[in-house]
Amino acid sequence: MEEQTNDDLTLYEQRFRSHLLLGTARYDSPSLLVNAIRAADPAMLTVSLRRQTSGSTDAGQSFWSLLRETRRPILPNTAGCHTAREAVTTACMAREVFQTSLIKLEVIGDDVTLQPDPFGVVEAAIELVRRGFQVLPYCTEDWVLCQRLIDAGCEVLMPWAAPIGTGQGPRNPRALRELRERAPQIPLIVDAGIGLPSHACQVMEWGFDGVLLNTAVSRALDPVRMASAFASAVTAGRRAFLAGPMIVREMAVSSTPEIGRPFTSASSDRPSPR
Amino acid sequence: MFVIVNGHPHPLPEPRTLAALLLLLSPLGAFAVARNDEFVPRATYDTCDIHQGDRIDIVHPAAGG
Repeated sequence: MEEQTNDDLTLYEQRFRSHLLLGTARYDSPSLLVNAIRAADPAMLTVSLRRQTSGSTDAGQSFWSLLRETRRPILPNTAGCHTAREAVTTACMAREVFQTSLIKLEVIGDDVTLQPDPFGVVEAAIELVRRGFQVLPYCTEDWVLCQRLIDAGCEVLMPWAAPIGTGQGPRNPRALRELRERAPQIPLIVDAGIGLPSHACQVMEWGFDGVLLNTAVSRALDPVRMASAFASAVTAGRRAFLAGPMIVREMAVSSTPEIGRPFTSASSDRPSPR
Repeated sequence: MFVIVNGHPHPLPEPRTLAALLLLLSPLGAFAVARNDEFVPRATYDTCDIHQGDRIDIVHPAAGG
């Protein structure tokens, strides 16, 4: 079957063939990262900014060269920021280094769950939009928070499935699905907490526009194979959503026609009432 | 007279500008700078004065999720 070509993921008027975004952290080696990128074929790669560590003489140069060679669009993040001010400063530094106005906005409110700070993320989003950024905020599935982010000018939202790095999959499916229904025109990317391809497939079946993964791939025993599995799952879920799933029913319905069934009297040879 | 560079004390350069400090530090590759938690655009390094106790952060591309 040929790939659909008219189903691009559109984020801030940029079109991407893939609906999968991939993080670049926690791989055991650069070659694993590169091969996982190849296998996942992602729309974008997420990156961060960090101080040069004392043991490093490279200052991220080889990492950055490696990523540039993949020729994938870059989505910088503000990971680790705990205040709106830190996030805005980090975003400004990222725009200068990575030459993109796209920013994955993270403002962490709790160090145990790494839950987004809803107040800080809205404050930062307002300021970043004012400064011309295209903001993709990491948020919860809370509808009021999402409304505030849309009001702030965010054209994409990235609700969590579960706390970062847990791999638990969607912890609040009902709220996620309600968010999808309440914001039908906003691209929604499920970010954080996805652990299995089935989780990714599930949220795509619900109509989410994409998933952002990192640990689920990088900490798999075989990250390259897992990257490929996720790519297939995201595609399968997206296709299922577009195909329009059947309606779930309470009662059994025979799929084989009743008409012509043997061992019945002639009078029962008529269409089933159901 | 020190500034704090990435959390560590560093002597103030002469002249006391961010450009002079960066000339001494020679950060490798792609980088960006914040002074006292505020972004400093590359085009303003020459005119960005630094003072005793200023906190300078120099960051580079890194892996991220």
